[in-house]
Formats: sequence, C-alpha cells, structure tokens
Amino acid sequence: MFTPGSKLFLGLTGFVLAVSVIYVALVDNSIGGAVALLSVATGTALLAGLTLFNRDGEVAVGDVAAPAGAEPLTSSMWPLVATVGFVGVVAGLLTHPIVFFLGLIALLASGTEWLIQSWSEGASSDKTYNASIRGRMLHPLEFPVLALVGLGVIIVAFSRVMLAVSRDAGAIIFIVAGAAVLFVGSIFALKPSLKKTLVVGICVASAVGVAASGIAAASNGLRADLVEAKEEQHFSHKECGEEVSEHFDHLAEGTISLRSNAVATIELRDGKLTARELGVAKVTQTITFPRSNSATIIFRNKDEKEARLTAFLGTKAVQDGVVEEVLDCTQMIGKDHEQALTFKIAKSSRASDKPYTLTVPGLEGQSIEIMVP
Amino acid sequence: MSTKIRRIVAGVSGLAATAFLAGCAKDAPQDTWQPKGSNAKIIDDLQQPVFAIAGVIGVIVTCAVVYCIIKFRDRGQAMPEQTHGKPALEIGMTILPALILAGVGVFTFRTVFDLSKTSDTQMVVNVTGQQWWWEYDYPAQPELGITQPIITSGQRIIPVGTKVLLRETSRDVIHSYWIPALNGKRDAVPGRVHTLRLDADEPGIYAGQCTEFCGLSHANMRMETVALSKEDFAAWVANQLTNAKSPAEKTLAKEGEGVFLNQCVRCHQVNGLKKVDGTPAIAAPDENVWAGAAPNLTHLMSRNTFAGAAFDLLSKKCRADVWGASSETVGKKYLAGVGEECLNQTDLRRWLRNAPAMKPMYADPAKLTSTNGKYRGMPNLGLTEDDIDKLVAYLSTLK
Repeated sequence: MFTPGSKLFLGLTGFVLAVSVIYVALVDNSIGGAVALLSVATGTALLAGLTLFNRDGEVAVGDVAAPAGAEPLTSSMWPLVATVGFVGVVAGLLTHPIVFFLGLIALLASGTEWLIQSWSEGASSDKTYNASIRGRMLHPLEFPVLALVGLGVIIVAFSRVMLAVSRDAGAIIFIVAGAAVLFVGSIFALKPSLKKTLVVGICVASAVGVAASGIAAASNGLRADLVEAKEEQHFSHKECGEEVSEHFDHLAEGTISLRSNAVATIELRDGKLTARELGVAKVTQTITFPRSNSATIIFRNKDEKEARLTAFLGTKAVQDGVVEEVLDCTQMIGKDHEQALTFKIAKSSRASDKPYTLTVPGLEGQSIEIMVP
Repeated sequence: MSTKIRRIVAGVSGLAATAFLAGCAKDAPQDTWQPKGSNAKIIDDLQQPVFAIAGVIGVIVTCAVVYCIIKFRDRGQAMPEQTHGKPALEIGMTILPALILAGVGVFTFRTVFDLSKTSDTQMVVNVTGQQWWWEYDYPAQPELGITQPIITSGQRIIPVGTKVLLRETSRDVIHSYWIPALNGKRDAVPGRVHTLRLDADEPGIYAGQCTEFCGLSHANMRMETVALSKEDFAAWVANQLTNAKSPAEKTLAKEGEGVFLNQCVRCHQVNGLKKVDGTPAIAAPDENVWAGAAPNLTHLMSRNTFAGAAFDLLSKKCRADVWGASSETVGKKYLAGVGEECLNQTDLRRWLRNAPAMKPMYADPAKLTSTNGKYRGMPNLGLTEDDIDKLVAYLSTLK
C-alpha cells in the first residue's frame, strides 16, 4: 500500500513530530520553535501524501519492485560517511563548533544519499534504471554542491599562493595562470574531438596542482612585508594629530563604497572647513549625527597642503579618575583626495561636557560641531 | 449546463464576489488607493492605468483558459490532428506582450525618476528602524524653527505641504518604511542611508507599518505620520525643544520620577531630568539594549501611541475624536496631547507590569547569552503596583 517514497516522508513526519514534543517538553516551551518544527512536519506530511497519491512519480513499484530480501544491487559508502559524520558531531560538541558543523553536514549529506540510494534500488530490478532515477533526484543537488566545493578549494588555495609570494611574482603568476586558463580553454573549445579522459585529466591535474600549491604556500606563511605590517600595526593608524604616517592605505579614497552610508561631506577649501549634509543643499558648520549607529563622513581636501580630519567623540575613563579623549581620524590626504571616516557615537551630545567636533589638526579656528540627538 | 459545472461556476463566482467586496472596507487607513501626497499621487497615476490594463488582460486570459477547458474537455472524442507550431501566432503572442510591457516600462521609469527627485527638499528627518519601533530625529534646521535636533518615536510630525526628505537607516536588521497614503516603501538597511521623499496635502494622521519581516514583533512595528498646519507644526517644534520639568515636591509624580531614575533611565532618556545630586541623568541604552537605543520619552504624552506605535496612549473615545477629526481641527486636537482624562491607563499599566506579555520581544534575562545580556525590546522590570502608580503619574507629566 505505501510506496517507498511515502514511507520515507511518513517516517520523517513522525520523527519531526516526536522531536517537536521533546523540544517543547525539554528544551523550550515557547511557541516559536514548536511552530517551526510543526511547519516542517506539515511539509513532510504533504510530501508523503503527494508521493502516495502519485505512486512515487514514475518509479515502478509493486510488481516490478525488487523482491523483499533481495541482495543490494550496489555497494554503498554512505553508512561509513554517516558514521564519520556522527563521530564528528559528538567530537565537535566536546572540541570545536567547526568540527560539529562539519560532522553535521557529513551526517545530513550521507543520510540524504543513503536514503535516496536505498529508495532507488527498491524501484526495480533494473540496475541502470535505478541508477538513472537516483541521478534524477540527486544530480541537481550533487553537481552544484561539488562545483561550489571545488571552486572554493581552488579560490582559497590560489589566494594562499598570492599572499605567500612577492608582489611582483604575484602579478606574474596571475598573468601566467590567466593566460594558461584562456589558452587551454580555447583548445578545448576549438578541438571538441579531444578525448574526454584527456580533458578530465588536464582539469584534475590543474586543480590538484593549485590545491597542492595552496597547501605549500599556507604552510610557508605570509610574505615578509605582510608579516611585518601585521606585527607593527601599519594600518591601524592611531595618529590623529599633524604627524604623517609612514604606512597607510594610499588608495583608500578609491574604496569609497562607503558613500552609501555617508551622512555628510566635510570639505577643506582655502583654509576653511564646511559641511554639507545628505539631502540638504546649503553648507553648514553643524551636522547632526545618528545616535548609537555607525555612519560615515567623507572628508574632501581641496587645499594644497596635506590634511586629515579628526573627530573628537567625547571622553572615556581608562582607570579610576583618569579620562582620555576619544578620537578618530582619517589619514593625511593631499589635494583633491577623499577619505571616509566611519564611527559611532553611543550617547547623545548631552552626555559630553565638550561638544563633539570635527577638526583639521594644525588649522586653528575651524571646526564642525557634531550634534547627536 | 450540467449540475456539476453549475456548482463550480457558482462557487467561483461566490469567491470572486467575496474577494471583490473585501476591497470595499470603509476604515482602511493603509489603503494604497487613496493618495494624500504628491509622490503618492505620482504612484497612483501609474498604478491606476497599469492595474486597468493588467485587469483587462487578466480577464481576457482567464476567459480564454476557461473557454478552452470547457469547450475542449475530454468527452471521449477522437484525438484531433496533431500539429507543431504556428509561427505567425507565436510571434504575435510574443510581440504584443512585449509592446505592452515596453509601454508600461516607459511610464514606470519616468515615475521612478520623478520619485527620486530630492533637489527641492524643504525639510529633512532621519528615520531609524530598530526592533521593533521607529525613531525620528530632526537635524537642526533653523529656517523651520528647529534650532536644536529633535528626537521622537512612533509618530513622525511634518508640516503640511512641505517636501520632506527621509534619510532612512537601521540599527539592527532590515526594516521597511511605508506610509501608503504618502509614498511607496523604502527599506531601512543597517550601514546604508536610503532617502525617501514625501509630503502631505492636508493635515491628518496617516498610518503605516514595517513591511520587511524583521523578527518576532514585526507585525507590531507600526508608525504614523502626523501632518500639521505650518502654525501647528511650529507649536509642536517649540514644545519639543523644551526640557521636561521636574514634578512638584511631595506629589505622586515626583515619587514616580524617583522610580524612573532607578529603573527606566538605564535605557530611556528624558531631557532635563536630573539625578538626586543635581547632575544630568544620561540614559545608557548602548549598555543595555542590543541595538544601542531606546525611545526618548521627554515628550511621551505629546504622542498618541507608545511601544512602537503598537498601542494607544489615548483612550478609545479620545482616539476616535483625534483620528476622526477634520483636517481643520486635527492639529489642535493632536497638539492637546494626552491629558489625564484621555490617558489609556489600562494599556500603559499592562505595559509597565509586563511589556513582553503585550508585545513579543527578546527580553528574558535568562535567554540573552547571545547578546551579552542585552535586551531586544523592553523587559519585565518586576515593578510593584505601587511603583506603577507612581510611574504613570510621572509619565503623565511628560507633555
């Protein structure tokens, strides 16, 4: 009476219902989780009904199904993978969340594969037909996932290589690798008669080569200048006065995607600071900044002299009786350059004895007041 | 016509009539077909003809499908001759919809560009979404009498006939701001500032609600825009720029101020409120609330709603009086605020007694490990009935 597909979904429905009861009784008696689980149960019950109604789609069942107790038609690795996944889940609970999630993924993937394989093998006594219906069910899942994993491995491996070699070597490798991909791809396109095994062999060898290079590069570590920059905190640029940093991102103005969150633009021109707020046409000496929400200000230097914008954001107690000013600032930038300054002011202006301000160090008598409602 | 077909036709007609009549609601403050502002009218001018065209096409297609289903249903007749393709018909059936869509597209693009115009903005309001309420802050705009930033929540006040630019953002998740009578919707996205222009033709209260699912109390995240005459708006601004006054000594409200200082000021700012030692009481929602802010309550009783505009501060009768007022009188009635005789004490007390019971929120102290103990929403503060009496008395003074 019940088809294999409907048994699967009925089993899932029963399982989810049991989990719902356990969840409500032992974990959380609020309605949210129970509603989610019951929604899943409703979905699987619906699928059970559908599969029962259409007799598992085109899968032949009943008379042509494999007789009970028949030998499995193919061997399966999924029980082994499921065991590894289960061990990963348990080990992950004791060690690290990543192990847990990898185990969970292995467990879910092997469970799905195992169930569908068993289901397809019960469809008929024709092994080829069974394999085809298994493929019809699982290939739309398997191929994108495998492609994603493969691409991810190659991207991560290639990035490790680029971080390990010198800048010049990196550029050369990029050009050579790109040219090689273009050349080999063109050959494949122009010579469709090439043996499939040769094409697969070249692709697999290349992927293995990239992955191996990535592992080697990762074990070798970052290139020297990156290690030095990290150790010496080259890019943390705490200098908010008139000093000029030796190390900073010279192309920061090229990454002003932050414009989408810019509440105001501050311009330095002819030794004068002016502000223009988003959506307001006229210039001002006072800007209103959102309370307790990160936002961006764009600083534009129109003067010949290099300048930076420094924000005074109140004070904070560093130890008993000792307070220090909270400052944030852009880098020194030259004429016609821009930098974005993103910060957050948690409290209203009322919380500060001194007004929050934006100034240019070394430029007297010019400041923009920041008002926080 | 057989009995079965007759029943089907009657059933479908009944459903269609029900759906049709459902559109005849009288009290529908969020009706998109009743524009009350210039941008909403621009949208309406587009949606009326598009809806008509789509409706005519929908009726033609439905009739054709129903005709084919009935006319060519299986009655045991012989299989008709099988043919493949009819190029002229296929090309025609492709070109005709493409032309219709192109025509609609031209007017749609023109509307989109018209709606994005902000060069003639006359006033700016920052709109910040947070689970599950809206905060409005008005940057200083001296030409409108706003000499200092104003902050409020739930109800946004605008002067009538003024082109207002909303700068929308969010502190936590994506929300969407929509007052159907005044303009289309615009998402409020963390880390971005989106602009939306709107204006109101006549004084009135225009309702809306968050239209992007934003968590547990999404359905309770409401908002209203109150359009006032320019004179009434000036009066509202003047009131908002003042600080709260401390209640007279030895009154219940004064005792309530003490309760407020002990419990509420951790998150809620009341401008002008002073601690016992005379220093300003500064709220610290950034230390207690996950998204970093809580509504400023300085002029709570100048608003008609609380808790993300989900509940009325006005009693039913007074609410009906304000919401049902004509455009000439609504301003005065709104500016009267919430007097003692109009205060909806029942809901306010229930809220103070156990806020999460009225509006679902993540505010159970036992379940806040993922947010470092910070709340999303207002927790149950465990106030005594005595404290609640005092707090209601104090809050009633925040006009």
